[in-house]
Order: sequence, then structure tokens, then C-alpha cells
Amino acid sequence: MTNSMIKVDHITKTFNGFTAVNDASLEIEKGEIVCLIGPSGSGKSTLIRCINGLEHPETGKVYIDGEELDPKSGNFAQIRRKMGFVFQHFNLFPNMTVLENLTLAPVKVLGKSQQEAEDVAMKYLQVVGLVEKKDEYPNKLSGGQKQRVAIARALCLEPEMMLFDEPTSALDPEMVLDVLNVMKELANEGMTMIVVTHEMGFAKTVANRVVFLEDGKIVEDTDAKTFYENPESDRAKDFLSKVMY
Amino acid sequence: MNAFIEFLTLDNLTYMLFGLVWSVIYGVIVVLVGTILGIIGAALKISKHKVLQSIGGLYTTVFIGTPMMLQILFFAVALPQALSFTGMRFEPTTLGVVAMCLNAGAYQTELIRSGILGVDKGQWEATETLGLSYFQAMRYVILPQAFKRIIPPLISEFMTLIKDSSLLYNIGAIELTASASVLGSRSAGIMIPYLDAGIMYIVIYLILSRVEKMAERRLAVSD
Ligand SMILES: Nc1ncnc2c1ncn2[C@@H]1O[C@H](COP(=O)(O)OP(=O)(O)OP(=O)(O)O)[C@@H](O)[C@H]1O
Ligand SMILES: [Mg+2]
Repeated sequence: MTNSMIKVDHITKTFNGFTAVNDASLEIEKGEIVCLIGPSGSGKSTLIRCINGLEHPETGKVYIDGEELDPKSGNFAQIRRKMGFVFQHFNLFPNMTVLENLTLAPVKVLGKSQQEAEDVAMKYLQVVGLVEKKDEYPNKLSGGQKQRVAIARALCLEPEMMLFDEPTSALDPEMVLDVLNVMKELANEGMTMIVVTHEMGFAKTVANRVVFLEDGKIVEDTDAKTFYENPESDRAKDFLSKVMY
Repeated sequence: MNAFIEFLTLDNLTYMLFGLVWSVIYGVIVVLVGTILGIIGAALKISKHKVLQSIGGLYTTVFIGTPMMLQILFFAVALPQALSFTGMRFEPTTLGVVAMCLNAGAYQTELIRSGILGVDKGQWEATETLGLSYFQAMRYVILPQAFKRIIPPLISEFMTLIKDSSLLYNIGAIELTASASVLGSRSAGIMIPYLDAGIMYIVIYLILSRVEKMAERRLAVSD
């Protein structure tokens, strides 16, 4: 066994014969910040969703903290709980207030008392700077605020790692920074993170490593500086020339 | 017009209102039990188990595919007859109401199912990543959102059921149409009692239509 936080071992995922992730392998150590980048349709979401167990690869295995993530195994839910997941479209529960969004899982899944759960929730609302919004419903929040609530919601389960699938892609430009700052803060505190992002600035300054995907394959897996300054593959060069001005 | 006013004695009016109250009570019972059956039916139909799916499918096919009157007669008349050898006694009205509940449950299965399927897939995924079980996801996240969108059609269903409870007249239940018929047979003509009953149904209908419109508006605002 390995003591990597996340180990992806030759996974392949197809949708009706179309290969979205093709024999991908990846290892992430505790405290590492890894950015997944690549063109649209290259399989970034599929890969990060396989890591979280939202999708199940046909072949290959995913290990979290040394344990295999297997939906048929009894500890699937337990292993999964070590990961927080943040979606592009937030997926807050519109029928609940911000505080209820944050306390639902801690109470129902972890068995915390309402009071305990609220204390933790308030702590994380503080982290994302939205304490004053605790009694609002999600439809009263801006996109950036929704995403910060979604991050706080995931943090309330005290995960050991956080996965982000394009957390700022659905946001107006002026909201992006608020969210990135929260993520940066998490990174500084030593959270293990995988971030699918098009935010090159974030990848450059915060990420330890950049994993570049194309057509479902991991084409490049290197430290951020090397990737941006001196990419190995022509594909990555081509991609960078298109996204950087 | 004179005949109309003459008919509206306190006694007659009380008798009609009594029938109306029962019609509404049947409507309430049936819509509530129907909702519970609808939740179960919808859960069966959207489950991944082939067998459970088929049970749900069979249920809705049978109860949507046949007329409610036939179902009421089957439960209230045919079933007691078939079971008479057991010596058990059944109250026809109760059995008729059971039939109506099953019928409403089938329609509400479809309604609730479409409500559940209408909830964004991302909501399910969020519950999954937070570790909620299927039942917890349904109970706290999916059903509340599904119900919000089906409250207006549910109110329509309630209006229909109040009217449909008049079918129970055929098996001797007390309700508004029955009240009108009884009063008609006692007085000179049946026209006035029936008109009177009709007006009462319309008043209920108009009230509930208003409630439905209000619900629609409220729900539209909060979305
Ligand atoms: N549930 C699905 N069913 C069918 N095809 C899918 C499904 N999910 C993804 N795909 C396909 O798999 C490929 C990879 O999709 P994926 O969403 O992982 O790409 P991505 O890199 O995240 O793209 P984007 O940057 O646009 O989000 C795409 O061609 C997509 O159409
Ligand atoms: Mg994607």
C-alpha cells in the first residue's frame, strides 16, 4: 500500500463507448495542491468525479489515504467522507437556509447535535466571510457567495482533502477573486486539494503541480512553474498559447 | 326563482351542507392517503430494482387504466361478495374510499415522480458528496423541492377528488350529490336540489382555484 493521500491507478471511464478518461494514473501527497487543466471535453470533470466516487471507472482503482474506493464495499461512504467536493454550479439546497445547508450533513451523517453543528458551521462561515448571511436562502446570494457557502458546507464535514470542479467558471469576474482567496487560504493551511480550473493565475501561484489532460489522457504532470514556463508536450504548448494572452 | 327560495329552508340547507362537508372530508382523506401512496409509488417507479419498478408500473397501469367507478364497485361491492364466505363484514363506504385512495395514489405517483425527476441532478450529487443516504436525500432535499413544484397540481387533484367523491353515491355513501338526490325525492322536483348542489361544488371549486393561483404565485416568487 501507499501512503499517498490520493492514488489513481490506471483508471478508464467510458460513456456509451466514448472514452472520457483513458488509463489515467496520478498520485497526490498530503498537503499538495494539484491543478487539473486541459481543453473542454478532455476529461477533467470525469477524472475528479471518479476520484470522489461520483463516477465509477470500468477499469483501474482509486485509493484514498491508502484505502480502495469501491462503491460495493462497506466502507465506501466512510472513505468518501474524507473528501469535500465543490461543484461548478454550487448545488446548494434551495429549500434550506445557509445555516441549514451547512448543518444538515453534520447532524444527519456525523450524528452531531444541532448546537455542535451550528458552532462548526459558524466557524466556517467566518472563514468564508459570510456570517451575516447565515439565515438567508441561497436564491438571495450572489454566485460568489453561493460558492463560498458551498465550500463552507463541504468543510463542515472536516474533510482531509478538497476537490474543486471549476469552482469559479460560473461566476462573474468580480466574484472570482473572493472564491479564489478562500481557496488560497485553505491551501495555506495545508489542505490537500485538487482543483479543475481555467484560472491560470491561481494555478501558477497556488498549485504545486499541474496535471494537463487531453482526450482523456494525462499528457503532462509536472510542477506548476515548469508547466507554465517550459511545457514538455506540444499539446500543452498549444493549449497554453490559446489560453494565455 | 320562487321554487328556489322555497327550497332553501334551514333544514334543507343544513342537509345539503352536511353532504358538502362529507364530500370535502372524502376529498381530504383521499388526497392525503393518495399522497402517501404516491410517494411510495414514485419511489418504486424510480428505483433501480427491476422488480420494484414493475410493481410500481403495474399499480399505475391498473388504477389509471380503469375507471374510478369500476374500482369503487369492485372494492365496495364485488370484494365483499367474494369474501362473504369468510364471514367478515365490510362497510361499503369505507371500501369505496379505499378504492378512491388507490386511484388517487396512482395519479399522484405520476405527479410526484415527475416532480422528483424535475429536481436538478446536481442536488442528488451534492447529497452524495455530503454522505447523505438515499432516504435522507429524498426526505430533506429532493422531496421538499419536488413537492414545491407539485403543490398547484396537487390542489387541482384535490378539487377533482371532491367532485369524484360523488361516485360514492352509487354505493350509498352520504355526500353532496346524495344529499341533493334525497331532498329531490322528498320535494316536488329534483331540479332545484341538483342546481343547489352544483352551486356548492362551484363555490368550493372557485375557492380552491384561488388557493391554487396564490400558491403558484408564491412559489414562482421564491424560486
Ligand atoms: N454523463 C456523461 N454521459 C456521456 N458523456 C459524458 C458524460 N460525462 C462526460 N461525458 C463526455 O466525456 C468527455 C469528457 O467530459 P468532461 O466533462 O470530463 O470534460 P471536461 O474536461 O470537464 O470539460 P469542460 O472543461 O467542458 O468541463 C466529454 O466528451 C463529454 O461529452
Ligand atoms: Mg468539466
